[in-house]
Amino acid sequence: MELLQYTLRKLIAGIPLIFGVTFISFLLMVYFGPDKTYDLLGKNPTEQQIAEIRSELGYDQPFVARYFNYVTELATLNFGRSESTGEKVSDLLARTIPVSLALVTPGFVLGNLFGVLLALFAASRRGSWVDKTIMGCSAVGMSISFLIAIIAFQLVFSSSYGLGWFPVRGWNIHSPLDYLRYVTVPTLATVFVALGYNTRFYRAVIVEELSRDHVRTAKAFGVSPAKILSVHVLKNCAIPIITRVVFSIPFIVISGSLLLETYFGIPGVGKVAFDAITTGNQPVLKAVVGLTAVLFVLAQILTDILYRVADPRVSLN
Amino acid sequence: MAAAPETIALVAAPPHQGLWSKAFHKFCRDRAGLVGLWVVVLYAIVALGVWLGLWASDWAEVTGPKWGPVSAEHWFGTNLIGQDIFARALYSTRTAFELGLVVAVLSTFVGAVLGAFAGFFSGGWIDELVLWFMGVIDSIPFYLLVAAIAFSLGDSPYAMYIAMIATFWVGTSRLVRGEVIKLKELEFVEAAHAIGLSEVAIIFRHILPNTFHILLVQATITFVAAIKSEVILSFLGIGIQDGMSWGLMIAESTIEVLAGFFNNFIAASLLMFGLVMAFNMFSDALQDALDPRSVR
Repeated sequence: MELLQYTLRKLIAGIPLIFGVTFISFLLMVYFGPDKTYDLLGKNPTEQQIAEIRSELGYDQPFVARYFNYVTELATLNFGRSESTGEKVSDLLARTIPVSLALVTPGFVLGNLFGVLLALFAASRRGSWVDKTIMGCSAVGMSISFLIAIIAFQLVFSSSYGLGWFPVRGWNIHSPLDYLRYVTVPTLATVFVALGYNTRFYRAVIVEELSRDHVRTAKAFGVSPAKILSVHVLKNCAIPIITRVVFSIPFIVISGSLLLETYFGIPGVGKVAFDAITTGNQPVLKAVVGLTAVLFVLAQILTDILYRVADPRVSLN
Repeated sequence: MAAAPETIALVAAPPHQGLWSKAFHKFCRDRAGLVGLWVVVLYAIVALGVWLGLWASDWAEVTGPKWGPVSAEHWFGTNLIGQDIFARALYSTRTAFELGLVVAVLSTFVGAVLGAFAGFFSGGWIDELVLWFMGVIDSIPFYLLVAAIAFSLGDSPYAMYIAMIATFWVGTSRLVRGEVIKLKELEFVEAAHAIGLSEVAIIFRHILPNTFHILLVQATITFVAAIKSEVILSFLGIGIQDGMSWGLMIAESTIEVLAGFFNNFIAASLLMFGLVMAFNMFSDALQDALDPRSVR
């Protein structure tokens, strides 16, 4: 009951944020977006034709009404049709989002999992050569651009100049084995880039936790180091780790799908967004930007609720 | 007034070193940080030379054959249309510094001012407004925000700059806000109130100068973030519009690498990696040196 109240309060508190993200995407892409009137008209249009097209596009309506229309579009997932293919935008998203999730999820999960494991390993041997090597590699990894990592991994594992083990590009999946063949190289690139940042962050969190009094007490009572790490440290690190995971969603999932799908020619939502960016396809762009922003706000609210479940000490205010 | 000489003596006493001189000594002992700083200085000299027209001014001219090999004349070979890759990579250093400096300075400034006002009036409507705005910016994925800004500006060359500044101030602002909330309870702020200074004067003259150690570290972090984002944005076609940059070179090289020609890719990647790595090392050392919690 208390949890339900908390959930409701968090949802209400999220309303200004949802208003903000929808308002900014509306301003940038609809209100200040390019004027489409003359793209749709023939040569030498009459005054009346111009007025007709403008009213068809909704340009003659007042500001508030246009914003309201945009929010309605977002809420009902009705964005009209793509300007390039004429496909309904909602169908387009329903077709491409699962592909992107299948592509990005393994890298996202493994990047965080290995990040925590490496960080535990480094933090438990703080100051030793193991720690220094791991942190040195993480600093190098942080300095390599995602794009460079993608190109390098493709060269090494997929191209005829390297090992040539995997398909160079594409997404042609009929069986789980196909999936593994196509997803491996993008996943390796994602994990490589994510590990640099994740290991460093998680190590800092764990080192701080290791210096707490309760860990010293546990050591004094002769609890084994493995048990201290897994029970006393990791559990208390849950909140920063969850925060990190949620806030890295835009980084890994959005930029990951944008770059990976563009580079490997994978028909996911990132490729759709890229095509919409390069061709100025407004219905698709406003759907992608608006929806991801709103979904991310909802994900943050969900995290707050998860904290409440994970750690009863979190204040109800 | 009688107490004044005593106060001065206390301040000047040897164990009471200031944050800055302590940080300077600590930084000088950090080998990785010093190496990073010198490499950054080297890059800065290269960029300055390009800016003054001392070298790489022929980056756009065709000076060799298509995909020419590495030679004494063309240190990294030539590209698809015969331009010298080394000259293009050097010229890109200037682009990187221009972008990094403009974005770092402006976004740090915006972050400092908004963060200071939010922190000083914490709990009030200014604070609420700034916090709301930060939450909104954080919720729109960066690359999509750049795309949206580029879309509304009709492919303006400034779209990338505006989007980076609009995004990167948030991190600085959160840190400054937290620090100012602590600072404003201290005696010197109370004293400034007591002698009748206006709130704006207190913020700009007494509070912001005390957050300078945060701003310096944040500016270096923003510099690196700007250079790294440029590569990805240029590849996506919403980055640098005219001129040459490491991102444009790598975008160009994506066609070449599968044809077995790697010089463009290697030159741009290595130069960019060198600068980013050095800047990260410098930034880390700076952060350690300026951390007031650290013991020595």
